[in-house]
Amino acid sequence: MQHQFDAIVVGSGITGGWAAKELTEAGLKVLMIERGRKIEHQVDYDTETKAPWELPFRGLGDAALYAREYAVQRKNRHFNEFTEGHFVNDKDNPYETGADTDFTWFRSYQLGGRSLTWGRQCYRWSDYDFGANKRDGHGTDWPIRYAELAPWYDKVEEFVGVSGAKEGLAQLPDGHFQPPMALNVVEQAVRERIAAQWPERCLTVGRTANLTEAKEAEGRSHCQYRSICARGCSYGAYFSTQSSTLPAATKTGLLTVVTDAQVEKVDYDPKTRRVTGVRWIETKTGARKAATARLVFLNAGAFNSVHLLLNSASEAMPNGLANGSGVLGTHIMDHANTLSVIAEFPGFSDRTSFGNRPTGIVIPRFRNLETLDGQGFTRGYSYQGGALQSGWSRGKRMAGTGAGFKDDLQQVGPWRMVLVTFAESLPRASNRLTLGKATDPRGVPQLEVHFAHGAEEHAALADAKEQAAVMMTAAGGKVLMGMDRPGPGGSAIHEMGGARMGWDPQTSVLDRFSRAHQVANLYVTDGAQMSSSACQNPSLTYMALTARACAHAVEQMRAGVI
Amino acid sequence: MAVDRREFLSGAALLALALGIPVAAVRLSDMADADLPTARQRVLAREVSQLVIPRTGTPGAGEVGVGDFLILALAHGLDGSREPASASSPAGEPMPLRPDGSLDHLLWLERTLDRAGGGDFLGAAPQARAAMLAKLDATAFPPGPPPADPSPWALVKGLILTGYYTSQTGAAQELRYELVPGRFDNDIPLTPGYRAWSSDWTAVEFG
Ligand SMILES: Cc1cc2nc3c(=O)[nH]c(=O)nc-3n(C[C@H](O)[C@H](O)[C@H](O)COP(=O)(O)OP(=O)(O)OC[C@H]3O[C@@H](n4cnc5c(N)ncnc54)[C@H](O)[C@@H]3O)c2cc1C
Ligand code: SF4
Repeated sequence: MQHQFDAIVVGSGITGGWAAKELTEAGLKVLMIERGRKIEHQVDYDTETKAPWELPFRGLGDAALYAREYAVQRKNRHFNEFTEGHFVNDKDNPYETGADTDFTWFRSYQLGGRSLTWGRQCYRWSDYDFGANKRDGHGTDWPIRYAELAPWYDKVEEFVGVSGAKEGLAQLPDGHFQPPMALNVVEQAVRERIAAQWPERCLTVGRTANLTEAKEAEGRSHCQYRSICARGCSYGAYFSTQSSTLPAATKTGLLTVVTDAQVEKVDYDPKTRRVTGVRWIETKTGARKAATARLVFLNAGAFNSVHLLLNSASEAMPNGLANGSGVLGTHIMDHANTLSVIAEFPGFSDRTSFGNRPTGIVIPRFRNLETLDGQGFTRGYSYQGGALQSGWSRGKRMAGTGAGFKDDLQQVGPWRMVLVTFAESLPRASNRLTLGKATDPRGVPQLEVHFAHGAEEHAALADAKEQAAVMMTAAGGKVLMGMDRPGPGGSAIHEMGGARMGWDPQTSVLDRFSRAHQVANLYVTDGAQMSSSACQNPSLTYMALTARACAHAVEQMRAGVI
Repeated sequence: MAVDRREFLSGAALLALALGIPVAAVRLSDMADADLPTARQRVLAREVSQLVIPRTGTPGAGEVGVGDFLILALAHGLDGSREPASASSPAGEPMPLRPDGSLDHLLWLERTLDRAGGGDFLGAAPQARAAMLAKLDATAFPPGPPPADPSPWALVKGLILTGYYTSQTGAAQELRYELVPGRFDNDIPLTPGYRAWSSDWTAVEFG
């Protein structure tokens, strides 16, 4: 069979961009297909330099419009009048939820996917994470360990440009970092006070995909400390498909990009037991199109890639493509997260900072490391947040009117520290994706999400709340509030799993190279492949796994296997 | 009597021109007729905004069009202002609801202040108006933890503050605005008179 392309990559977000880059740089002719609109770097960041007073709703956005068309996205605090164009229209892109499921699925359907809107936090996983399923028996054992992934982490961190401080922690391995951003005065004090009492607890600056040193060869400047990244950054100072992987892939001359094209099915040939290409719907015209390739990479975002596999059922594979095991769609996860503490910090009222640092702090996991010391949970949690000085919006909670009130709000407010917990989500068979009964406006069956956090996640958040309060108090803070109930599923925006990796084709969908056990030329390298969730932000790991899978695919092609 | 839509919009545009702010900032676009305020309510919204944030070294909220922003924001449901509301106050007084079941904050404000003003809030002397509003505010924000059932005034006041501190005057004259700081100074002295940055997005968000 004569193929039109060497490889098709479905999706142009964080992982699709990496697949396109790696495969084209290896000399393959690649088609990247994206369901959303084209957004051109620098040219199309419409709101980037706008001031609030230049927008009709001053940056808050038209709540009436949001209620009608962005019923889910509006619940995301990163969604506002500046960024609304970078999030999906829920009305046009509906999904269903099971009877007892409250799941907020935060999505960006556009060239660049969520690489444009992400929080840029980049953390390596460790063997506490890759060994977790084996250790406590939840889920299936990861067929890889940290040592195998370490060189791929090096590779992606170097290209992405991750700033961070080396801390020598086994549970959060150091990486190939650009110079760290600085802690502010309260964070520095809290770091020291926590370390004095708990040597194993480390507060460090968030490791973030914002450049502290320019990458001139790639046309990327260092960060300007605006912290408006999700509007799009013309400086190219944070990692996105547009700023990084797409230019690299384009430079090879081997990349074709199609946008406004919703992939509906992956074609499978039972005779060769290979996938042969994909079919899509042009969202602007409704026309159906297809292309063929020797190799297919699914990078549509965890749930969308699973959706595609489910929707690509055929006579030969009636339960979904590559679903001989029957586990496709199951064991989905999302970190249980909540606001664990807000504390006020007196004693620093004569200090402030200038500039908007686009990252916070992290306190890495300290539970269930060498000993299982969690009460009712066997995995980890970690905090992210930071210290800040409140601004004029504190006036919304204050009594007062008139000149004195106005003068008050002209001043910088008191210091407070905020810690948000991300607790590991256990892989459970009952948390799963299926095809729903209704279809989307283009006639494609909707995805249906069934999800609930379990007792372990609740126990972890209860401990996190308690420990946050203890640490803040010990560090000299006054606790104002804290919560231990998780937000709805999806709140952490770390949804993953559904096509898990494993040793055994009977109990997992993908092999140790992110390739379908049953289909030798089909790779799924986004969050769908995850067998456990750790408690770190996952995208860096997706990137490392994607780069590794690309190298494997290229090797297989050269060896004539694909 | 409701303001004629065209008159309302052109009034907003004139105000904008007079203050040198872009028309887009105060355009009352896409407002259903039922949401248009009466002429009196429009004056009231402006006056109340000005009382919350009066002219000091910089113009006050009423002067920079926050009254109209408030009307637009309430019509479009900003800060949850069009969520279903209860038909009576905790004290058992009837509350004016819109047809969609949300509280008509503007009508509530008008009635509440008129009642305080013995029937005509706007007719009272300026000092008296300020005192009446201060009293309403003090009841809505009692000392101690915030009331479980907040007064509608809390939401209205919040939108007035948003309107003011996101206006060019409030954001860049009263406070300071810098889109491109270019650097991060992690620890600098905070001296008396240091004006806050409206462009410190984290501060605004977590206030
Ligand atoms: C506000 C926010 C903050 C976040 N912060 C962090 C963070 O700090 N750290 C971290 O690690 N992660 C973070 N995340 C999560 C991170 O964005 C995702 O993990 C990451 O983008 C996943 O990469 P991906 O390539 O799998 O999917 P995406 O980046 O979502 O890209 C998938 C692409 O595929 C396209 N697509 C989907 N279906 C189809 C189809 N059928 N046909 C064609 N194209 C399709 C989509 O339109 C999209 O462009 C955050 C996310 C958000 C929204
Ligand atoms: S903070 Fe840095 S990366 Fe983010 S938008 Fe500003 S310059 Fe770009």
